[in-house]
Amino acid sequence: MSSSASLPALRQLLLERFPSAVRSSGAALATGIPAIDEHTGGLPRPGLTEAVCTAPSCGSQLFLGQVLHSTRAQALRVALVDAGDAFDPGSWPGSLLEHLVWVRARHAAEAMAAADLLTRDSNLSLVVLDLRHAARADLRRIPATQWYRLQRAIEPATLACLVFTPTTVVPCAQLRLELSHSHRLATQSSERPRLGQDLAPTFLRQRSTNLAAAS
Amino acid sequence: MFAVLRIPGFALQAILRVEPAALASQPVVLLAEGRRGATVALCNDAAQAAGVRPGHSVPRAQAHCPNLVVRTAQPALEQEAETALLAAGFSITPQVELTAPGVCTLGLEHLPSHRRAPAVDRALGELAALRLHATAGFAATPLLALYAARCAAPGRVVTGDRAFLAPLPIATAEPPADLAPILTAWGIHTLGQLTALPKSDVAQRLGREGLALWERAAGATIRPLNVVAPSRDFVATYACEHEMETLEPLLFILRRFVDRLALELRNAHQAALAVELELNLADDTRHTRSIRLPEPVTNPELLFRALQTHLETVRTAAPIVGVQLRLEPGRSQVRQQGLFDGGLRDPHGFADTLARVMALVGSDRVGRPMSLNTHRPDAFTLEAPPPALAPLPDGFTHPPRGLALRRFRPPAPAKVELDGRTPAYVWTAEGEGAVVATAGPWHSSGEWWEAYRHWQHEEWDVEFAAGGFYRLRREPTGWLLEGEYD
Repeated sequence: MSSSASLPALRQLLLERFPSAVRSSGAALATGIPAIDEHTGGLPRPGLTEAVCTAPSCGSQLFLGQVLHSTRAQALRVALVDAGDAFDPGSWPGSLLEHLVWVRARHAAEAMAAADLLTRDSNLSLVVLDLRHAARADLRRIPATQWYRLQRAIEPATLACLVFTPTTVVPCAQLRLELSHSHRLATQSSERPRLGQDLAPTFLRQRSTNLAAAS
Repeated sequence: MFAVLRIPGFALQAILRVEPAALASQPVVLLAEGRRGATVALCNDAAQAAGVRPGHSVPRAQAHCPNLVVRTAQPALEQEAETALLAAGFSITPQVELTAPGVCTLGLEHLPSHRRAPAVDRALGELAALRLHATAGFAATPLLALYAARCAAPGRVVTGDRAFLAPLPIATAEPPADLAPILTAWGIHTLGQLTALPKSDVAQRLGREGLALWERAAGATIRPLNVVAPSRDFVATYACEHEMETLEPLLFILRRFVDRLALELRNAHQAALAVELELNLADDTRHTRSIRLPEPVTNPELLFRALQTHLETVRTAAPIVGVQLRLEPGRSQVRQQGLFDGGLRDPHGFADTLARVMALVGSDRVGRPMSLNTHRPDAFTLEAPPPALAPLPDGFTHPPRGLALRRFRPPAPAKVELDGRTPAYVWTAEGEGAVVATAGPWHSSGEWWEAYRHWQHEEWDVEFAAGGFYRLRREPTGWLLEGEYD
């Protein structure tokens, strides 16, 4: 049997023998970015999504703004753990930030600890961890086990966790996107919601936690 | 109808309830100063089982039980236990009398008969939760109810009537020392035997004291209760016998306080709006903290969690020698959740999480961002998240344009080469780049009337040849790279 054929068979076997071990995935969290929502339904819940920002002005704040708008419309609470203390409230209408808790961390380790606390809160629907401008050395110092711990914290809840990183660092990301296209100065005259809808990230990884769905 | 709540060995229980639970299973005695020095006033079951009796001197008690734990009376703890007893009484009826230390009498005439026993059972449960093991008695008179409470086992309720009274020993009515041998000589050993004698004959032979004893033995006198007013100040105070250096004993004391104060709040049909904690330290300084709760609450678990979360982050310069806890009372919130409103699922859990995050990153670095009403760059404040979210407006009058700024805090100093008035090349500590497109300048100034707060600058948006565009700010002191558009 080829490996491609044996994997679904193995999943089916696991599903039959250990039905209680199968995690059911909740409804994905819509991002308001058609390229993502049409492809995956949104950010997986529960699950970790990594948005790798490899180019300057690639639109990570645009991505965040679309998610903030979408969650605000659904009256969901969001926490932004900002490792670089880079979020600019002045760039956004005040009513769009009513549901947001902004945590101004000083470095990546502090941001990881804060995210670990926030992901355990049942009031939140989305935790955004912004490591976009974190020092590469700091990111390398985050052990893989810490990401798995974060994943385990998310699993019992219907929570999505979105991590912005400068390079691939989240080993257990269920969905990994790449924003590699730099915007031009000319785009500053366009309306932001339209720019957000035009975002077209590259899908690097998409995993399913639901064995049944996967098989 | 009257009920009596009684805490046997009150002074000893008042001390044991704030000690580790393991101590209650060890032999413990409470000493009292007498004419012949310190003697045992009260002892627990374990000490009694070892042969220790009230009245024993300390050496004699220790001869019976070498591992005896000795405690002395602590009026502050007795006061605290007494307040808890009254709170349990007020949970049944407002007619509560503090009859004696550890004994309170309740007037139940206004309570329907079918609700009396469950109410008293609940009160015994409340006291047990406060680590006070009480007994209760029901009867038609206060004295009879007291006799019933004395005969009841801990946590049990006994109903007193004539038939119940008759076989009780004469000592129950506390005969004066000079009358006891006379009654014994007459062959009178029970209350029933005494009350079988004509009252007038007893008065004639034993005088006024004998008459009072007969009336006590009959237990038929109904007296008005000296009713206590319920407390409107929800405070608990404790002066420590030993300095506290760790969190565990402090939390132990606070848990007792919170349970009692929550019961008092529920009795008053009120809820806690805030918790005010004051720690007196050995160096004569104080640590005070007022914790505003996300919504009014009477649940002791939630109140205690708020305190615990705060105290886990507190480091004091000296050991703790006193604790005061005050609950700010207020009306309970009665609000029906809307189907579509964005209220919090667990407001106390959310407050707890935020408190933990604040302990980690600092209380001024967590909250809902709010822009200030000024054009000054990067002017914002952090507020507490709202308990409920207002609906999002359908559209924005002035929808934001372009990419949002990702700020560098603090802004990076830059060196800029100009082509005329336009930036052409930029150097920063992080890197350098040729500018391929610019927009600006935008001039801005404000608060020129303030000597030290006035500001004036011009802003440029610059796109680099290597990709990405940024905001440059020119101030009288030089150029700054303010952030990246992202």
